[in-house]
Amino acid sequence: MQKITVFSAKKVITMDPNQPSATHVAVLGDRILAVGQADCADQWGDVIHDDSLSDFVLTPGFVEGHAHMMAGAIWDFAYAGYHDRIDPDGKLWSGKGDLNTVIGDLSDYEKTLPDDQPLVGWGLDPIFLQDERLSRKHLDQISETRPIAVMFSNFHLMCVNSKALDMVGYTNETNAEGVIKDDAGHPTGELQEMAAMFPVMRRLGIDFRSLSQTEPAIRSYAKVCQRAGVTTVTDLFSTLTDEDVTTLTSVTGEAQFPVRIVPALAAIGAAPAEIAQFALKLRSMSTDKLRLGAVKLMTDGSIQGWTARVKWPGYVGGQPNGLWNTPPELIYELVEEMQRAGVQMHIHVNGDEASDVSIDAIEAASRKHPWPEARHVLQHCQMMGVDQFKRCANMGICTNIFANHIWYFGDQHAALTIGNDRAERMDAVRAALDAGVNVAIHSDAPVTPMGPLFTAWCAVTRQTMSGRVLGAGQCISVEEALHAITLGAAYTLKLDRDIGSIETGKIADFAILAQDPTESDGIALKDIEVKGTVSSGVVHLI
Amino acid sequence: MTGIPLTVIGGYLGAGKTTLINQILRDPQGKRYLVMVNDFGAINVDASLLASADEDTIQLSNGCVCCTMGADLFLAIGDVLDGDMRPDHIVIEASGIADPAKIANVAVAEPDLVYQGIITVVDGANILDQLVDRFVGDQVRDQIRVADLIYVSKTELSDHLSMQLTTISKAPILESDAATIEMLLSPSTPKAPNPTTAPHTAYTKWFTEADVAFNRNTLIYALQNRPEGVFRMKGFVRAETRMLSVHVVGAHIDVTTFPNDVETGLVAIGLASEMNPQDLNKWWAKAKEKALTPYSML
Repeated sequence: MQKITVFSAKKVITMDPNQPSATHVAVLGDRILAVGQADCADQWGDVIHDDSLSDFVLTPGFVEGHAHMMAGAIWDFAYAGYHDRIDPDGKLWSGKGDLNTVIGDLSDYEKTLPDDQPLVGWGLDPIFLQDERLSRKHLDQISETRPIAVMFSNFHLMCVNSKALDMVGYTNETNAEGVIKDDAGHPTGELQEMAAMFPVMRRLGIDFRSLSQTEPAIRSYAKVCQRAGVTTVTDLFSTLTDEDVTTLTSVTGEAQFPVRIVPALAAIGAAPAEIAQFALKLRSMSTDKLRLGAVKLMTDGSIQGWTARVKWPGYVGGQPNGLWNTPPELIYELVEEMQRAGVQMHIHVNGDEASDVSIDAIEAASRKHPWPEARHVLQHCQMMGVDQFKRCANMGICTNIFANHIWYFGDQHAALTIGNDRAERMDAVRAALDAGVNVAIHSDAPVTPMGPLFTAWCAVTRQTMSGRVLGAGQCISVEEALHAITLGAAYTLKLDRDIGSIETGKIADFAILAQDPTESDGIALKDIEVKGTVSSGVVHLI
Repeated sequence: MTGIPLTVIGGYLGAGKTTLINQILRDPQGKRYLVMVNDFGAINVDASLLASADEDTIQLSNGCVCCTMGADLFLAIGDVLDGDMRPDHIVIEASGIADPAKIANVAVAEPDLVYQGIITVVDGANILDQLVDRFVGDQVRDQIRVADLIYVSKTELSDHLSMQLTTISKAPILESDAATIEMLLSPSTPKAPNPTTAPHTAYTKWFTEADVAFNRNTLIYALQNRPEGVFRMKGFVRAETRMLSVHVVGAHIDVTTFPNDVETGLVAIGLASEMNPQDLNKWWAKAKEKALTPYSML
């Protein structure tokens, strides 16, 4: 017979209004048996008291509603970004504030590589670097014999050294678009967009597919989650071949595997009806730790890349309106088919024209095929106004808002993309909550680092990198933010029956924290230390 | 090893791209095509042609292969280049909203591929509405702007439509899938055309010896200013100290150093109705006069 374990904690923050806080939680198997004080489970028989977590605060395990699996395996490459970041194994990679540091750190890393291995870096963001543009001349200082490629943080650009240029055969005679040249007509090493980067990636063996769905990639992703206190994570825009599902099922099926994965199938590459049927088939293959069946639709691009579809008056620099990845006509078709078949959708919408079209499409589909419990989720929702949020509330559409953007890109949005006034009402979590929409907030890892407490801090303070508060009117309370990263996100995944709060009957998923986020005593939410997680009743300390 | 020719077929939703691809697969005229499509379900070949099929590949008994591109087109191209099958020609069906130039550029960048043009298929019945659509108008226009050949499907080409398209792109306009496929297949080996070959209805060829050494930039300038109607041009021209390989498709011009000494010559292919060999003769004679004049002094 399974034993009842009663964990004691400095405090248990439950997110259950009937009992907002407690000191003990009793676990039987993978479920919460009781919540309260030391005697909370005594009615159920003999218990074992476990005080190993008694110095810590327990909250419901965090739910990251929008991230990508490559956030784990991307660390197979050398980090070259501006901000400090921590890899899945806990190693701190310090941020590189100027080009000299980029070159110096990559040189040190280069010395650790075997001779026959290329040096691949990631995360470089020239927007933050004041000096000249990174070029092959800089990278040649690291090595002239080993091929080197440094990917930019947006993955649309890279810079390579002379050796890598030679391997492809890029010269002053090359006239492929995106192979950038200097005034003398020689390639600088910077390559823009996939077509120009592909020949280098092919020769250096950089294959993005291996960053997802392979066993090492899944385990690496789980480690990222564990460090962030995340016990349920999405992988939005998955390709899910039979082989992928087999691997995912087997790895997530291990009792010690510390996270529940919710992949959303990329809704491309087949007719809408076939995609819907495939999603339904996947749904039937779900297990506790692998929840399949939802799909992800792309609509527009990104605001900082000027490819999001925005309503009038558009971009402040006069850039043309962005690009559709899926034309509205096809968005309507896909939405109708998913709604008809009963497949939940996560819909990428950055610009306010993309969200408008998507809400219109859902309304049209709902009139034909009513499904009040659909819980389709708009993802990112960066420019949505009160009008759109109210429509979402009326139709039961959820919003998962990209709060991390405020800190990382808020200053750029005010200065360069949509201008000050619209930047101040970006990622409008306050407006969404006031309209009565179910709200989650997210990191979009690896675009920004996974860390729900940091994401919560962004939504609470709306502070940008320069320290300004971007739109104080949209700030939310700590309690609201904690709700968004637990129950709010669980609701968007239709998992709030099982997770999102610490209540009797739910799965025993906790985040283990060193400090209390509701009484932070001057400690910012983002600085609260995550000590590990409990996932389905199993303790995973870092 | 020389590169595999790559052609991209672009055009908005419902333009007729798949119909064209089905035609190519049905009658590849002896070439082994590898066709990459978005949606497998729309591929429609005779059961008698089907050799084998699995989740994402169809093998045809005529040597052609059709496969899906999956979530990442470029990785799929890499798989083809690194795989066992070496097709004679790769054709990629761009998605209905994609910019075909962003895909076709890979053939310019990748040495194992040869850029063989963008064919943009236009739905003659709906294109004028699509061009002014408030959501997708600009992207549809761009698909036409980057075309090396435009194929108007579904309707006759009216003067009005022809004028509209000409304001967006200078690419030759074709009106039948047969002519389009003929242009796609037209051989461009840098040799004199065989005079005994029966003339084709859709395209015409022009050939010249290239017995004069050129300055590279001057040659590029001449190619940029060639007579209208040339769809493709290919061959070898001598520079002062090296051999240059010339590869022209539509607005795309590649002039690169060629390591071996080969026979010089240029061959051009264009629509019979638009390309005039006499104009080309005059153009080439004039270009030769200034062959070694530095570009800056032209």
